[in-house]
Amino acid sequence: MAEYFGVAVEDIFNTMEERFRKEGAGGVDAIFGYDISGEGGGKWKVTVKDENLKVEKIEGDLEGYSVILDTDAETFVGVTIGKVDAGEAFSSGRIKVDGDIGLLTNVLPQIFAKYTPPAKEATAKDIIDSMVDRFRPEKAEGVDMTIGYDLTGDGGGKWTALVKDQTCKVEEGLASDCTVTLQMDAKVFVDLNLGLIDGTAAFTSGQVKIEGDMGAAATSAALFEKFKVAGAEEAEELISLKCLPSVDQRFATGPVMGKWFEGLKEKKFYATKCPKCGRTQIPPREICANCRVRCTECVELGPKGTATFIDIVYYASPDPLTGEVRETPYGGPFFMLDGATEEESFAHGLNPKDLERIKPGMRIRPVWAEERTGSYTDLLYFEIDD
Amino acid sequence: MAIHKEDTKHCFVQEGRMALPNQYFAGRVGSKFIIALRDEKKILGVKCTKCNKVFIPPREYCERCMSKLDENWVELSNEGAITNFTVVRYNDKHLPKKAPYILALIKLDGADTPFPHIVEGIDLKNVEIGMKVKAVFADKTTNTIMDLDHFEPV
Repeated sequence: MAEYFGVAVEDIFNTMEERFRKEGAGGVDAIFGYDISGEGGGKWKVTVKDENLKVEKIEGDLEGYSVILDTDAETFVGVTIGKVDAGEAFSSGRIKVDGDIGLLTNVLPQIFAKYTPPAKEATAKDIIDSMVDRFRPEKAEGVDMTIGYDLTGDGGGKWTALVKDQTCKVEEGLASDCTVTLQMDAKVFVDLNLGLIDGTAAFTSGQVKIEGDMGAAATSAALFEKFKVAGAEEAEELISLKCLPSVDQRFATGPVMGKWFEGLKEKKFYATKCPKCGRTQIPPREICANCRVRCTECVELGPKGTATFIDIVYYASPDPLTGEVRETPYGGPFFMLDGATEEESFAHGLNPKDLERIKPGMRIRPVWAEERTGSYTDLLYFEIDD
Repeated sequence: MAIHKEDTKHCFVQEGRMALPNQYFAGRVGSKFIIALRDEKKILGVKCTKCNKVFIPPREYCERCMSKLDENWVELSNEGAITNFTVVRYNDKHLPKKAPYILALIKLDGADTPFPHIVEGIDLKNVEIGMKVKAVFADKTTNTIMDLDHFEPV
């Protein structure tokens, strides 16, 4: 069966049943015709009606279809698995469409899950068989060793690799005079060779047992090119850099706002009181922002108060002070301290246990840090006062 | 209770550090450019065959005619000429070199656009437009444009 990019045309049609999505096919009543030329091609009729699917391989002319796709087998497979750009194939004439093209571009992706070729699994035997080809004579100067492979479990077996005079030979069975013998499960052997598990870790965790010359086991790895799964393309290397720049910050409170932090240290809330309008400002400021007069009187508020506006954050934003993502949800309600004038509520944290219960108007109390230094972290959060 | 602005008893200093987690993805085109610098010590550009222009750093689309360029790779010379320059005279932790250093726009032979990089090995007073420079690659990779460490006079 002819394959393109490791996939046959029939594979794509044969998997249509399992890739069919009923929920995407609601209201679709269409017959798709496929006329695929070239080796492995043919004609297919795909009927979608009443959320049902019928796939048939047919002979003869295609007639009475909603849309007919006319292309060659390689392009068809390439476009289906994303190796060939559909737009380019269409504009260059490699794909011809007769009928409602919207059915192919818009409706088809809703009806079918994307086709993904089944992964070809490497076996221990594939890896052993390719050793001679992967041997690097330039690395084996002066090396004379016999490596035994005792692979247990599914797909296992016993093999011996003989490295001498810059040549490599692989024989079945374990030689009696191995320099080193590696014993492990065949699956572990495959994973090691595919780079899925780390050699040192596999050895220290006991997945790999080494008998004989440990040093030889280590050198042997360098004698062979890395094993690659046949037909698999090497993943393209892409560069992505992570960095955590930080901006140092320093804020001097001055004597008036400093009163706020002095208060936190003493488990108290201080506000300045405007001599003109009587407003209690927190944190304390030198000037009343409304009346533009100097405030020299300081009053104590709270420490208990009322929740006024509930703000619960579900978006996982980084904490600007550490760069770490905060745990969500977290509460940032507004609180009005007892004795504060109107509109002087302020936002602060909420005890996580109260997130579900907090409602506007509820009484709240502050929870203080054990050790207080005159900083915003002295006040941990508020919680429901009950 | 009264407070006076002259009373410095309750002055506090709040220290903070704003951390800004960043992830930069070089993209397919950018990755290929950096990998060529890193593994082959080659400077790659992309050519727009329609406009007949060679761009560096490489980009996916031509800025003039919007043609897709990511298949038209060209290898540029490791030498070129300074088309403009400035001297960076302050130090900051995000800067790649210790001040003062020369930050120049360099048009490599084979390219139609200049690109910025550092010029070393010449006194700040003697750098001039038109000067021929060549690339010096870094010994250790950082997977960044700094795998090309700097340029120096030919």
